[in-house]
Amino acid sequence: MIESVRAIVVENLQKSYGDVQAVKGIGFEINPGEVFGLLGPNGAGKTTTIEVLEGLRPRSGGQVMVLGFDPDRQRQQLKDRIGVCLQATNLPEKIRVHEALEVFSALYSRRTDLTQLTRRLQLEDKRDAFYGTLSGGQKQRLALALALVNDPQLIFLDEPTTGLDPQVRVEIHALLEQLKKECRTILLTTHYIEEAERLCDRVAIIDEGRIIALDTPRQLQQQSRSASTIVVTCARPFPQPRPAWAEATHDELDASARTLTVNSRRPAATLVDLVKWIDQQGIELTDVHLQQPTLEDVFIELTGKRLRE
Amino acid sequence: MKAYRALIALDLKLALRQRTVIFFNYLFPLVFFFVFAQAFHAERGAAMTVVLAMVIIIGILGNGLFGAGIRAVQEREANILRRYKVTPISPVPLLVASTVTGWILFMPYVLLMFALAHFAYGMPWPVNLGSILTLITCGVAGFRAIGLILASVANSMAESQILVQLIYLPMLFLSGATFPTVMFPPWLLLVTQFLPATYLVTGVQSMLLRREGIAENRLPIVALVVTTIVGLFLAYKLFRWEKEEKIRNSAKLSILAVILPFLGVGAWQMHTRDSVVRTKILNRQLARSDTFLLRGARLLVADGKVIENGAVLVRGGKIAEVYVGAGPEPRTVRAEVVEASGKTILPGLIDAHVHLGSAGGLYPGTANYDLEKGMSRALAAYLYSGVTTVRSVGDGLDGILEVRARVNRGELLGAQLFTCGPVFAAGGGRGTEYFEPFPPSFRPAAEKESRIPGSPDEARQQVDRLKERSVDCIHAALETGVGPLQRLDTSLLNAVAREARGDDLPFTVHTADVRDVTGALEAQAASIEHGSFREQIPDRVFDQMARQGTFYDPMLSVGEAFEELVAGKTEMLKRSLVQQVGPEDLLRGTEEALAASETEPMRQSMAQDFIDLRIAVDNLRRAYQHGVLLVAGSDAGNLLLIHGPALHHELRLWVEAGVPPLVALQSATANGARLLRAEKRIGSIRPGNDADLLVVDGDPLDDISATERISMVILKGERIDRAAIFDQH
Repeated sequence: MIESVRAIVVENLQKSYGDVQAVKGIGFEINPGEVFGLLGPNGAGKTTTIEVLEGLRPRSGGQVMVLGFDPDRQRQQLKDRIGVCLQATNLPEKIRVHEALEVFSALYSRRTDLTQLTRRLQLEDKRDAFYGTLSGGQKQRLALALALVNDPQLIFLDEPTTGLDPQVRVEIHALLEQLKKECRTILLTTHYIEEAERLCDRVAIIDEGRIIALDTPRQLQQQSRSASTIVVTCARPFPQPRPAWAEATHDELDASARTLTVNSRRPAATLVDLVKWIDQQGIELTDVHLQQPTLEDVFIELTGKRLRE
Repeated sequence: MKAYRALIALDLKLALRQRTVIFFNYLFPLVFFFVFAQAFHAERGAAMTVVLAMVIIIGILGNGLFGAGIRAVQEREANILRRYKVTPISPVPLLVASTVTGWILFMPYVLLMFALAHFAYGMPWPVNLGSILTLITCGVAGFRAIGLILASVANSMAESQILVQLIYLPMLFLSGATFPTVMFPPWLLLVTQFLPATYLVTGVQSMLLRREGIAENRLPIVALVVTTIVGLFLAYKLFRWEKEEKIRNSAKLSILAVILPFLGVGAWQMHTRDSVVRTKILNRQLARSDTFLLRGARLLVADGKVIENGAVLVRGGKIAEVYVGAGPEPRTVRAEVVEASGKTILPGLIDAHVHLGSAGGLYPGTANYDLEKGMSRALAAYLYSGVTTVRSVGDGLDGILEVRARVNRGELLGAQLFTCGPVFAAGGGRGTEYFEPFPPSFRPAAEKESRIPGSPDEARQQVDRLKERSVDCIHAALETGVGPLQRLDTSLLNAVAREARGDDLPFTVHTADVRDVTGALEAQAASIEHGSFREQIPDRVFDQMARQGTFYDPMLSVGEAFEELVAGKTEMLKRSLVQQVGPEDLLRGTEEALAASETEPMRQSMAQDFIDLRIAVDNLRRAYQHGVLLVAGSDAGNLLLIHGPALHHELRLWVEAGVPPLVALQSATANGARLLRAEKRIGSIRPGNDADLLVVDGDPLDDISATERISMVILKGERIDRAAIFDQH
């Protein structure tokens, strides 16, 4: 069976709610040990897709295999094997952290050492705390811990850092990187570009129920038709007139005439040309900054939309 | 299994950490416990059983509807259930855990209530605790299932609140959990039969009070089990993990499936009324369980003894103690005080001779006379009049036994009934004359009122068959008569008498002439009914009566009634107690019928019968002088003799005849009880006897008519609500 080699195989997946088609035929494959990101704006169909794969919602069409199970037909077996961190779930206010771990652990056939799990997710101090007293970051760490109680090889993370402040987000990212090192397969949805860039081996950009691009973050950036931007700042104003730089498409001087912004498709060639001229002019170069196109730019380029609106 | 255990343990911990859960499950009902205990005087009688049933059912309602129902909605609305959705469990462990947790949380509460009842209010530990806990368990499971199904069909918190209140409030107020059902009119009592909580209230109460078990409560138990199964199954089918999932309006109808078992039970009860009857019996038993101290009254105790200022303690339907003087400090005996100064307390009167099947008058349009209703109303009239026991002679067997059973069960409130069943008579003799003119098609029904043996053997068999039906006595009519009446053959009379004696049944004989009286005495009759209105009974016959211990039951009233009828008068219907008892249409119908010209031939034919009240009066006086044991019967049911008041009138005639009031009253109490062989239970004010008491204003020993100035009637410890006694019909 070819599917068993892949952690997840999705072919032409469709999902409708009444007349509304949320997912319009998407397909991708995820290899074991891979961290795969679904990137897209709110309402793009990311959560629907992931929930179909988790066995929470039946699909309307297409083929899906997750760990060799059909999520529609082998729901319980599948749920027993995967770890899930849902968006917007809650626990009772008065449940203690260790109790939550114990109860959820009891619902699976496979278990992991809860003490170790608690330590790994830095919840030791909060072991006996009530859920209601936890901070946002602690709650999210507990949610991650709950997703790991059955020691799953495949983990679904739906917007794992949404609504958290940047510092906590960094913490969570560190944890996810650790999971990645353990060679667990992770499917995450996010609308944070940097999260995808930092964590994902591959990213599918999804919009209005369709995948519009799928590659490694680097490849996606390189495929971009956008120009890079070079910003140079000198100790005194640029002399006039300026020459046309190699490969440059556009340049612009700011009001102080000491900072020059240049756009180029081949920033390396342009930068060499630019620095050489400045040196010839005998101007002291105080700063050089090269800005390559981001996933965000790629996204805007592909969809005409910003990720966060 | 592991999952179930973990979820139950978690549910329990969470519940115990929730202050509202503790409050609503334990403290709140505790308040009810003490309030109800205070309101219902739980320290007295069996009122504690009511209080317990109430607080337990209030607890079950809260536990099921709020504990299971509202909480399930809360968990869904708070996105807690969603977290379970990604785990490999189905809704079943969650639903089961909720139900089991509810039960575990509830049981300590039940035991706490029992402990309070025991230690604070002296209620004995229930002997059938297993049955009670089983019923409560079924109740908790049933109501949790109802709660869960409500949660399943509610799309929002607001909706679930409305649904829960819709179920909660009627159950709370109509089931007897807050207002005792004894306050309900009959139609409302029927409505309550559709509510599961009603069966829980009456079930718990019956188990506590009547020591009923599972078997007697199987109908509601089965219905609750069905409710639980159907409820949990539907709750599983309609389970929603997320608040975003909404349920179709059509699916909300599935709530009906849970109500269905009790719709069925209710419909069945509309048909059988078993449960309504049970409730009545239960309430009766409760009313009979009270403890009170009547004091400051003159007591006519027993054996002609009078206590001028005494007290009677009534507890659990019995006379617990009789005191000379004011009696004990009420608090020490946990009794309510009933001050009765200026009053006289006598044992409840016993009417030794009544015809319950006849009304004592004529209703306008005889067609609407319902025999069974007539009989039960007559028994109510007796009780109203302070006659707590009657003996029926010559009534149709099936009907009278049915009424007796209903009274004995406590379903019907009325004088307790002893019956001889049908009268043994000669073909064409006394006791058969009423149905002789009937068309042949009516004869079989009418003949039920008599037994006409053809041979001594048949007579014996007929007696034995009556014995099998548990009659209390055997009655025969022996009348030579004038005109067409045939006299019962002596061999038949003796056969009946011997068989009755063999069957240990008092044998009682209707007589009209001296010859009949001597015949009855030879047959060893226990009582002579009427004696004679025609002939002076010789002193030697009275001496024989006194020697044999035969009771003499003269029934002067029927003689007076006869003379009034012949004279075309209806003075007897104008008496105060008769007017109170009525019913009004009977009295009016009788007056009208007797005033009508059509009754003239009847009067003329009656006038030919030779009946002289003065002879009967003389016979009674001499019977008294010769030391004959007297019993007082009224022969009520005959024209102008209205059930109840007739006995009071009889006593008055006796006193006018020269019988001392104390003797007359003893005849109508202790002697009557001896004739009925029930003297160990009724007829005197003695510890251990049934608390059947008549409290009257004034002193009947001074003025016998005081017996009609009734202040209170008590039957088996129940203070009868005389004003409401006719409402039950």
